[in-house]
Amino acid sequence: MKGLRSVVGTPAVALSLALVLLLAACGGAPAAPVAEAPAAPVVPAAPVAEAVPVGADAAPILPSGNTAPPLDEVLVSTEWLAENLDSPSVRVIEVSVIPGVYERGHIPNAVNFVWHTDFVDTVNRDIVQPDVFEELIQQAGINSDTTVVLYGDNNNWFAAWGGWIFTLYGHEDVRLLDGGRVKWEAEGRELTTAVPTFPIGNATVEAANPALRVSKNDVLSVVEGKADAVIIDIRSPDEYNGVIFAPEGFQELAIRAGHIPGAVNVPWGKAVNKDTGEFKSAEELRELYASVGVDGSKPVIVYCRIGERASHTWYALHNILGYDVALYDGSWTEWGNSVGVPIANPTGTIWGAQ
Amino acid sequence: MCRLRTRRGRSGAHNNRSVTSQQPHERSLRQRATLGLGQLARATTIRIAGAALVVVAVVGLSLWLQQAAGYGTPAVLSLWFGVGLGVVFERGRFCFFCILRECFEERNSTGIYAILAALAVGGLGYVLVAGAFLPDPSRGRLPPGAHIGPISPVLVAGGVAFGVGMCLAGGCISGLLYRVGEGYSRAPIGLLGVLLGFGLGFYSWNTLYLSFIAQAPVWWLPAWLGYGGALALHLAILGGVAVWLLPFLPNLPARAAQPISLSSIGAALFGTRWNPLPTGALVGVIGAVAYFRVEPLGVTAQLGSISRTVLHDAGALPARLYGLDTLAGCATQVGQAITTNGWLIGGLVAGSFAAALLANRFQISSITPRNSGTALLGGILMGWGAMVSLGCTVGVLLSGISVFALSGWVFTLAMLAGMWLGLRLRLHHL
Repeated sequence: MKGLRSVVGTPAVALSLALVLLLAACGGAPAAPVAEAPAAPVVPAAPVAEAVPVGADAAPILPSGNTAPPLDEVLVSTEWLAENLDSPSVRVIEVSVIPGVYERGHIPNAVNFVWHTDFVDTVNRDIVQPDVFEELIQQAGINSDTTVVLYGDNNNWFAAWGGWIFTLYGHEDVRLLDGGRVKWEAEGRELTTAVPTFPIGNATVEAANPALRVSKNDVLSVVEGKADAVIIDIRSPDEYNGVIFAPEGFQELAIRAGHIPGAVNVPWGKAVNKDTGEFKSAEELRELYASVGVDGSKPVIVYCRIGERASHTWYALHNILGYDVALYDGSWTEWGNSVGVPIANPTGTIWGAQ
Repeated sequence: MCRLRTRRGRSGAHNNRSVTSQQPHERSLRQRATLGLGQLARATTIRIAGAALVVVAVVGLSLWLQQAAGYGTPAVLSLWFGVGLGVVFERGRFCFFCILRECFEERNSTGIYAILAALAVGGLGYVLVAGAFLPDPSRGRLPPGAHIGPISPVLVAGGVAFGVGMCLAGGCISGLLYRVGEGYSRAPIGLLGVLLGFGLGFYSWNTLYLSFIAQAPVWWLPAWLGYGGALALHLAILGGVAVWLLPFLPNLPARAAQPISLSSIGAALFGTRWNPLPTGALVGVIGAVAYFRVEPLGVTAQLGSISRTVLHDAGALPARLYGLDTLAGCATQVGQAITTNGWLIGGLVAGSFAAALLANRFQISSITPRNSGTALLGGILMGWGAMVSLGCTVGVLLSGISVFALSGWVFTLAMLAGMWLGLRLRLHHL
């Protein structure tokens, strides 16, 4: 983060700024390491639109052998957090989309991780490098056995992304504050501007778990029927169907509209209760995803537009339901801009045509 | 700045031809003399009832805003910060143009002390708030939302245009806003000009941004000096200016000891112009508190947003205004009809109106094609200047210098140069 300026305006502008920042700072996976384990049974995948064999040597998706942990080990309630704020074994981390939200008031004892600098490599389009991340979490006083509780604005979008990164880098105990900042605020709970400091922690970062992250080539091998997985597109139906290239106001665009062939569309918001922002119950989630053919019998790949928001759905599927789920963090801004990969566009929108 | 001429104006005699805010008051005094006692009581009742109505309306609006979707606490707070500013601006005559003109032309530095006090108290407040938001200023981040802008030739041009525009319009943007509440008829015309000027600013933005602003440095003193060092330098500069201008203060009038009673407090609040030091200190306190709870003070975001939305809806703006929404300052936006800043300036006009009624300074002034034209032109220059500088005397000067942004000082010096030019050309007498 050194040398980087976060120039922010009013809340309204901050939002616009956040949108602009997406340009510069997206996680991504150019040629991410993927384990060379035996492939899942190769079954012809859903309709493939004129697949072109680019990167046909991609390694297939690896089941991680994930099982659902007890719910209270992945989600904490606002009541639980309020009681455990001062516990030395708990570290609360805010990851908000809008810059300046943490600074103007945060949950007591929470530290601030900035999604566009702390969780990404700011030069390569990639997630934060392991040594940089290790220093970051040690500075935040995190030990290897610390219970990390993440929360943020916008329904925990980027808090869930932080949760994915913590899990990817091998941290054991990672939880989300169910309902995030909105629920904490709605309940009128305490906020502070005091920034805590902690003694340096001893947490170490392991090699990224390849089962949790896929690259473009991995996805392509699924599209081409060389590996078996179901793909979930968590964007809006209009983006999925190619009616629009990106929602109003977003600057990061793809040259193609539509979705990855064979992907099913479950907008991220369907996984939460609208009123409280909390995740739906495991039973409701199971039904929701089963209704589009995602039942945990096959590995799952989730993606969105720039790669962060899909972590929210990843969190529900991986941590609440215990499915094998990997995040394709290149997402549509990589796929829709890549030369030689197929897309599905039910609307038939063509870039530049009116 | 006051040494441009000799000290002959030191006694503080007001120039009757100029647009000082003295006129309506004198006129109302004259009127009062011609009214009968009964009429006077009736007029007073009407004025007090009017001010009470304003208060009732603002309270009602607050209750509605508190529960209205999309508004809530920030809107309510902004509304009341605006009311507070309106009262202080009106009662202390915190009009950047009037204050500086008195200093330049009449060798009277009284009002300057209000600005210095606002900046000194604002700096103390900002050190506390920014220090809480961003404990370590040396790490390359800036405190959230603070008005720390890029320093480029555009900022200088914007400041000069703003200074010239102030002379033509007879007030800066915040000055025109509070004088709407005093019935100054040129003010709405000047503000219309500001809207037009903002439009011109948006048209010129992309060229200016690519040529000058994109590469411009953003300098924030605490990043180098720490909060303590920046505050010490800040207070030293303000203190130095304060000492330098002491010879240009008129003598204090002799005042006999008097009992403190409700009527003497009323007279102090609504009879005479407030002392510049508490006036400025209150502005500084409101500024720091506004930054703590909502956003830094500014008065152009709503005006600019109106221009931007109208032009956007008419399809008259470039599809993209490069970098504009990533820069810190009085940010404009397309869409929302009334922004948080809108409630602030609404409150400012309401507060000034109520204060002017109570002080018997509300007087609808006359306009002519000539003085409307100069107000409009001045407004256009100020609007353009404020757009390309990302704020005006409040947003860049007050909120910028208070947070130790070098951009605030650069804008101020450029604006003083523009104003000096405008006064030399006698633009305020056109």
